[in-house]
Amino acid sequence: MASRSPSTPPHRDGLSRRGFIGRTGAVVAGTAAASAPLDTARAAPQSAPAQQGENLVAVALTVNGRSVRLMADPRWTLLDTLRERLSLTGTKKGCDRGQCGACTVHVEGRRVLSCLTLTASVDGEHVTTVEGLSDGEHLHPMQRAFIAHDGFQCGYCTSGQIMSAVALVGEGHADTDDDIKEYMSGNICRCGAYPFIRDAIKDAREEMR
Amino acid sequence: MTSVGTDVDRVDGPEKTTGRARYSADRVLPDMAYAHVVLSTIGKGRIRAMNTDAAAGAPGVLRVYTPFQPLKLYPPPPGYGETYAVLQDRDIRFRGQVIGLVVARTFEQAREAAALVTTEYDAQQPSTSLAAGSPGVTAPDQGQGAPPAKFAVLAPGVTSIDQALAASEVTVQGTYTQGSQHHVAMEPHATVAVWQDGHLTAYCGAQMPQVHAVSLAAQLGVEADRVRVLSPYVGGAFGSRVATWPDIALASAAALDLDRPVKLVLAREQVFTMVGHRPAVSQTVRLGASADGVLNAVSHKSDVAMPMPTVGSWVMVPAQDTSGALYKTPNLAIDQRVVPLDMPPTWAMRGPNEAPGGFAIETAMDELAVSLRMDPLRLRLRNYATTAAGTGRPWSSKHLRECYETGAERFGWSSRPRSGTVDGQWLVGTGMATAIYPAARFPAAVRVRFRDDGTAVVASATADIGTGAVTLLSICGSDALGIPLSRVEPRLGDSALPPGAPAVGSAGAGSTAPVIRSAAQAAITALIDLAVTHPDSPFYGMTADQVRYHDGYLDAGAGRSMGFARLLKLTGTAGVEATANGGPGPEAGQYAFHSFGAHFCEVRGNRFTGEPRVSRFTTVVDIGTVVNAQATRSQIVGSVIFGIGHALLEVDPLEDSGRLAAGNLGDYLVPVNADIPDIDVHWLDIPDTVYSPFGARGVGELATVGSAAAIGNAIHDATGIRVRDLPITLDKLLG
Ligand code: FES
Ligand code: FES
Repeated sequence: MASRSPSTPPHRDGLSRRGFIGRTGAVVAGTAAASAPLDTARAAPQSAPAQQGENLVAVALTVNGRSVRLMADPRWTLLDTLRERLSLTGTKKGCDRGQCGACTVHVEGRRVLSCLTLTASVDGEHVTTVEGLSDGEHLHPMQRAFIAHDGFQCGYCTSGQIMSAVALVGEGHADTDDDIKEYMSGNICRCGAYPFIRDAIKDAREEMR
Repeated sequence: MTSVGTDVDRVDGPEKTTGRARYSADRVLPDMAYAHVVLSTIGKGRIRAMNTDAAAGAPGVLRVYTPFQPLKLYPPPPGYGETYAVLQDRDIRFRGQVIGLVVARTFEQAREAAALVTTEYDAQQPSTSLAAGSPGVTAPDQGQGAPPAKFAVLAPGVTSIDQALAASEVTVQGTYTQGSQHHVAMEPHATVAVWQDGHLTAYCGAQMPQVHAVSLAAQLGVEADRVRVLSPYVGGAFGSRVATWPDIALASAAALDLDRPVKLVLAREQVFTMVGHRPAVSQTVRLGASADGVLNAVSHKSDVAMPMPTVGSWVMVPAQDTSGALYKTPNLAIDQRVVPLDMPPTWAMRGPNEAPGGFAIETAMDELAVSLRMDPLRLRLRNYATTAAGTGRPWSSKHLRECYETGAERFGWSSRPRSGTVDGQWLVGTGMATAIYPAARFPAAVRVRFRDDGTAVVASATADIGTGAVTLLSICGSDALGIPLSRVEPRLGDSALPPGAPAVGSAGAGSTAPVIRSAAQAAITALIDLAVTHPDSPFYGMTADQVRYHDGYLDAGAGRSMGFARLLKLTGTAGVEATANGGPGPEAGQYAFHSFGAHFCEVRGNRFTGEPRVSRFTTVVDIGTVVNAQATRSQIVGSVIFGIGHALLEVDPLEDSGRLAAGNLGDYLVPVNADIPDIDVHWLDIPDTVYSPFGARGVGELATVGSAAAIGNAIHDATGIRVRDLPITLDKLLG
């Protein structure tokens, strides 16, 4: 795989960045936890333990409003990069093969399954994870609504549910109960919080408009 | 003002919705290595040879462990999991058994190297057919005062259950079957193991952290006080995190051997065979009744698939707490058997005996109602039990009748559409069933500590597997101490805390809540003792009974009152604490203990495709005192959804080769959002003060029981087709 220069991110057309930009300013403080490994990566990508791998390629992306440059093993999924290299463990692995939705994040404002997304393929793109939704203690309306409606129990699917739910509102798929049911069906919740997730989305969508 | 019984937001809500909550695999430690397991690809036999050269030489690989180069491990103590230790011999007991462990610098390197290990086997034909092995042998005795696996209670003069059935005016008989099912907790089993100075810290999901620590220590061959299990957040369990499966010991032993932290996260497909599942079961229920619906005989036989003794498992006994307790009958026969097969380990899964058993008896009751042309609700009421069969004990508290009545009212049972109503392309039907679940109470210890910053810690080594246990500690602590929720710090999920109630058997809340009260009382006594004995205290020299505690204050009357934080500061005391123990008392031998409920549902069957859809669901339960209304509602709804999966979706066929054929989330279907209607839930909130002074019996599993039967009964009402083999998929309705 050829490595792209991190300074020339590819252009993407036709994607709305409105929802993303609206939150970018709010996330800087929230990523402090990730700063240590990122700085290490910048200084000495090859020797940092968290950065080991093979046939490394240079990748530059923006995660929760913060630029990240790393030398990535081409096998690294976005999910494993976030979790194991950037210490952003809010995004969960439920199946690692696109069957559960626990790993949902936003890339350029669209929801994607980060377990099916190779890190090298998001070079130059903007990624938002659940850690990037809130501004410190000030939670996103969807996060507050999930708490108020008990839209989770064990909480393991929750990051993915919330990232899908936020995207759903932006997609215009949160207007009817049937739409919400259908478009949230890529996110499994074994605890069975589905009715309360729907309530949370209906509540938060008003505030998000 | 207490918050007991109100809607309380989960205290860990902000952590769980922002991604800050750290589950086992969320630990990323310096110098941590990553492990990946290699599993057997035959169902039975022996390993002849393994080639690990390519794996060992692959980039980043630190070590490859196999039965030829093992990590030393011992079996868990009896009853704690499997009966063997992985990697210690070359026997293949089932397909998907651990035969190797690869540790590398990165996850990707470990996974890739694991795929390079090749294995030669001497294969044998596994025995995998439940039907061919039935009838099995009587299930082993469950001990602990449980009824024997096979027993009969017969009316005077009756010599056998067959005779009682033959003498009945009306009889029905049905055989009800279901295949293997899996817990599918959303968090795959994962361990991060770190050793320091001969002491292990293992981050792993545990329903009973101390039991995990004891079992892990035994598997590693070290003293239990060298092992600490930390499990503050658990991504679902449903029974799958009671036993210690091999991942925990493997990661821990590798971390010791390599002298660095090791993370082992099972791939989702590996969870399906490495973690015990709910086995296939075949049940035959026979009912005999008078023409007006009075039961004369109930017979319930079960044949449950179970792994060989060389694997070990938990044993399902589906009849005793369902058919054995639900209805008044002069003649009752229970016969619970097991069929040993060459299959992966099994374990209890939400409503472990009762969900399968409830499906059988509650479907049979519906079949009886149909053959009597009687309202199935009336049939239940006509055979209402007021004492437990066999022992004749009264229930500690039973309000099932009110559940039936309230549920029928809320659902509109009396004005339900007639059977097989056509609505466009849908056939509409309704069904009902009873829920029952035994109410166990476990010993528990709780520590309450007043701190000089005005907060109090409520700590117990129980677990919050999504039940809301951590919020329960806060609510009950706040209630018992009279301080706001925000001033209580709950702690659990740590084997170093006082031994807590296991988060199993729906008994975590019921066992813990009363002990929080006792611990709070003991801590208050200690606080008053400090107040009257410490020379710097304004209460110094008084007698203990002159000082009263209320709402965070010590009060000696006449305006002499002081908050506990100030007292602690004045006396230079960081904290005052006490630990209390509690558990079942003599009442345990005098009463029967169950929670009860009633389900009513409407199902639509597509006239052209056969597709069944649950369209309405009402569940009313009798569970004693409710601690947190919001979490209780969520537990009941989640249980019903488990039942919908049980009824309509979930099965993992065990193939002749010994392979579980649907070991991933694309083939093993669990309910998704679009499968689930809004679910109407209600509870009676009548305290069971015989069970415990607090009166809360617990709720985690009850509503899973009977929900599948209610759905199947509604499908029969809609379509006229009785499906006795779960799940009820559309092919079975195309007749
Ligand atoms: S982990 Fe990505 S869909 Fe399951
Ligand atoms: S909250 Fe447990 S899986 Fe959704």
